[in-house]
Amino acid sequence: MAASQEPSLQPRRAAELLERVEKNIHRVIVGKDRVVRLALAGMVSGGHVLLQDLPGTGKTMLARALATSVGGTFRRIQCTPDLLPSDITGSSVFNQKDLTFEFIPGPIFANIVLADEVNRATPRTQSALLEAMGERQVTVEGTTRALEPPFFVVATQNPTEFHGTYPLPESQLDRFVLAAEMGPPTDAEALEVLARREHGDPIADLTAVVDISDVIELQEACLRVVAAPAIRTYLVALLQAVRARPDVLLPASMRSGVYLQRAAQAWALFEGRDFVLPDDIKLLAIPVLAHRLGMRGRGRAAEMLNEVVTSLPIPPLRQH
Amino acid sequence: MAALIGPARDPDSPDYPAMLPSETTVSPDYQRFRLPRLPRSPIEHSVEARAFVFSAFAIAVLAIVLYGQDYVVPAIGLAAAAVGHVVSYRERTRRRDFWRQAFLAALIFGALFYVIADSTLALFGGILPQANFAVLLVAITSFDLKTRRNCYSSLWISLAILYLAAVYAWDYTFGLLVAFWVACLAAFWMASHLRRLNAPMSGPVRAIALIAVVALIAGAGWFAAVPQPSGIPISPLVISLPNFTSFRGDMESPALPLVQVSGDSSGATSSVDLHFRGRLGDAPVMYVRTGAPAYWRGLVFDTYRNGVWTASNHFYRQTEPYVPPRLLPPAPPGNRGTFVQTFRVLRPMPAVIDAAYPIESLYAPVSGLREDAYGTFHTPDQLRPGQTYSVVSYIPDLSPQRLRADEREAVLEDSTGAYQDFSTLSAAGRQLAGRVAAGTTNEFDTVMAVTNYLQHNFTYTLALPPVPAGRDPVDWFLLDVKTGYCEQFATAETLMLRSLGIPARLATGYATGDYDPVLNQAVVRERDAHAWVEVWFGSHGWVPVDPTPGVSPLAATQFPSHWAAGGIARLIPHLTVGAPAAALGSLGALGVIPLAVGIALAIVVAYAWLRRRRWTARPKPQPGESELLHLYERLQRRLVRRRAPPETPLEYQDAMQSVLLSEVTGAVNEGVYAGRWPDARRVRELSERISSG
Repeated sequence: MAASQEPSLQPRRAAELLERVEKNIHRVIVGKDRVVRLALAGMVSGGHVLLQDLPGTGKTMLARALATSVGGTFRRIQCTPDLLPSDITGSSVFNQKDLTFEFIPGPIFANIVLADEVNRATPRTQSALLEAMGERQVTVEGTTRALEPPFFVVATQNPTEFHGTYPLPESQLDRFVLAAEMGPPTDAEALEVLARREHGDPIADLTAVVDISDVIELQEACLRVVAAPAIRTYLVALLQAVRARPDVLLPASMRSGVYLQRAAQAWALFEGRDFVLPDDIKLLAIPVLAHRLGMRGRGRAAEMLNEVVTSLPIPPLRQH
Repeated sequence: MAALIGPARDPDSPDYPAMLPSETTVSPDYQRFRLPRLPRSPIEHSVEARAFVFSAFAIAVLAIVLYGQDYVVPAIGLAAAAVGHVVSYRERTRRRDFWRQAFLAALIFGALFYVIADSTLALFGGILPQANFAVLLVAITSFDLKTRRNCYSSLWISLAILYLAAVYAWDYTFGLLVAFWVACLAAFWMASHLRRLNAPMSGPVRAIALIAVVALIAGAGWFAAVPQPSGIPISPLVISLPNFTSFRGDMESPALPLVQVSGDSSGATSSVDLHFRGRLGDAPVMYVRTGAPAYWRGLVFDTYRNGVWTASNHFYRQTEPYVPPRLLPPAPPGNRGTFVQTFRVLRPMPAVIDAAYPIESLYAPVSGLREDAYGTFHTPDQLRPGQTYSVVSYIPDLSPQRLRADEREAVLEDSTGAYQDFSTLSAAGRQLAGRVAAGTTNEFDTVMAVTNYLQHNFTYTLALPPVPAGRDPVDWFLLDVKTGYCEQFATAETLMLRSLGIPARLATGYATGDYDPVLNQAVVRERDAHAWVEVWFGSHGWVPVDPTPGVSPLAATQFPSHWAAGGIARLIPHLTVGAPAAALGSLGALGVIPLAVGIALAIVVAYAWLRRRRWTARPKPQPGESELLHLYERLQRRLVRRRAPPETPLEYQDAMQSVLLSEVTGAVNEGVYAGRWPDARRVRELSERISSG
């Protein structure tokens, strides 16, 4: 087949698929276009997404809607202080019939995992989850079991000022490709939410609109998106500029740069592009970088990043 | 060169973010924006930078020693500066001690007082007190070289010292010192910038040494192969080697110049012996900055006996160092103007003022002058290297018409008859003179007839066999060998003219020398030593005539022609075509160095270019790229404002709201960020739409 050289998923087709998913999610989530797209971009980039905001802003709803829309297996882990690592990874149970230990897979063995209120779990349990997120494998009782691709974790967390939470350490926050805040709804959105819930919960009617294999193809298409040398130069300059800021205590890691490039590649797919624009970088700088920066004093990472992004010159267009 | 910049020493240092990934293709103007804040530049920690600061100072001090002839303070200053550099480097991190600072400040005032005292009281001879002050200033401040600014101030003061030395510099060797100083400055900059990058300063020593050796050999080869302008024709090198072509006889003595000058300041006991002559080399004896080419006349002789010229009149008068025009004979009739010559003596010379005659006025910085009976001035002591004197001379009108019309009004005061004495000339010589002068009706024509006869029938040679015993050198020259050098020609003419009743005498001195268009002065060498004839014309006085073949018979001072042109050409740097060659020639063996430096530079540049070309072969611009970006620029100029550097093309498009811009923006984004540039047709189409809309 001559098409073997051709990418299996053209950017335009990818954009169509993503638009279909977005529309489906919007049947449940009113507005919040940006957050929905960010969450989807996190999935397409092959990373994991952290949704953080106050309770009742629709974090869980978004995660569920996303999971439902793309098909595949979906599990939900409600994190509590008494949740144990084995509750996530699964454990071996003695089968009295065969007189053998049989492994019962935990909820982590799924395509899409919703780790709800992840900061309510103890650090020990969090680390079990985060190992699976990072390595895409689970080791239980000496046996390492790979997780089926795609593997995508949506974690939600409440702001850490709330009681009874174990804030995620910076090293673990660093593993989420991006973090998004839901933000309060506008009046119109609030009215619409109330109207839709008048006679029931719309998520019950939600069905999958794309196949789980489409998600894998989307992830592959994401890898084929071109990030030109100028884009890489811009990324490096951006990381340098953030490092050079006097109010940054913990600077952006190299991993964050890699994630930012990957997320920008995914973002390009939404617009049917097969190349990254500096606009993508600018737009994703805050969701990708803000949650992992340690700020000095009471500095706000998002504000600082906004300043950097609006003042940092993009690389010159003329390269030769 | 990339090899000079090693990897970062310490990635954890606060300067680490300044290190850039080398693979990224960043254009220079973008780098400016990439570092929002420059890192600290602790060049005060760099030993190399300090070493170069000190070297620059040492070069400046060397220049003062060489050209200012001042030794005591520069030596003390250099030693103190060396100690100061060590002290300030060791204590660079310590806080400044108040009392020490106060002491250094007091020392600076002390240096100031010393300079004032030296200027007025001449403690060390009073040579260059201002340079001494600068030297002391650098020496004192080198104890406090803690910051970059201190290093710079040290460098700039040493530049000022170099400038002071430049006032006294006359030769091209000074250019070498300047070049070394500039090299030190460049090296200091390099060291400081490498320090800023936290990179060690190390060079490919072996490669540099190899290049230097190859370049030296190549330079020497070039130097030997290309003829030098002022060299001896048979030898390619311009080193002042004696040439072995002058004499083969046993009377040869290399120590004897043309004129044997005795210690007598009247010049009376000096002599010119035609039996022997020393070798005259190429070494410069003096520089003459002059308004016109002329013969520089020294001693004059009137008595010829047994092949030896001496002066008979021992009378002299004492004058002040400055001889004003009123103490000297008035301007000759038909005087065409005056010109100034400034002589700078380069090696020990007899106590004789060589100058163009007739003199209008002169000044020599000596205690007093003596004018002998022949109008030549003498200094009390031997002229030392570096001594200068200035002479203003007339340019008499010595045109043939004027000399022919001479009416012999002024009578020559010749009580002893020395100017008429031709007793040593043989009868055959007198007959020859009569034959040559036959048919001439006036004095000028007679003089010219004799001069032309000598010039055309005799040959000039430096390889003269020894004069046979018992023969008078002039007779032998006139009747037998018919070859000789300038003394023979001049003596023969003098005696022949005397036998014809025309008073004449022998003048010695130097020919004009080689005009150097760079320095705008004549370089007078040993081999320019010359002898010619002075003939008495009634209304003109003594007129120089030169019977030596190959020169103008009437040795008149010429009105400046190419001389003035050379002066003008000096103002236009590229007009002096011969200048580089002349410069190289005057450097002597040191001329290898500039050539070697040039060749080394060429090798290094070629090597760097090749490396760069091979390893960082830059991708060629895509077809359509520059056209499209040019179009984008054009479009921006037409809109309200241009794109700001932090603005992406899309943001700019959103802000501008132009239909055409959105199309061009799409193409630009596609080109810059996806590498898909539009074809020329599309660009043309967009361009036309910009022009029409």
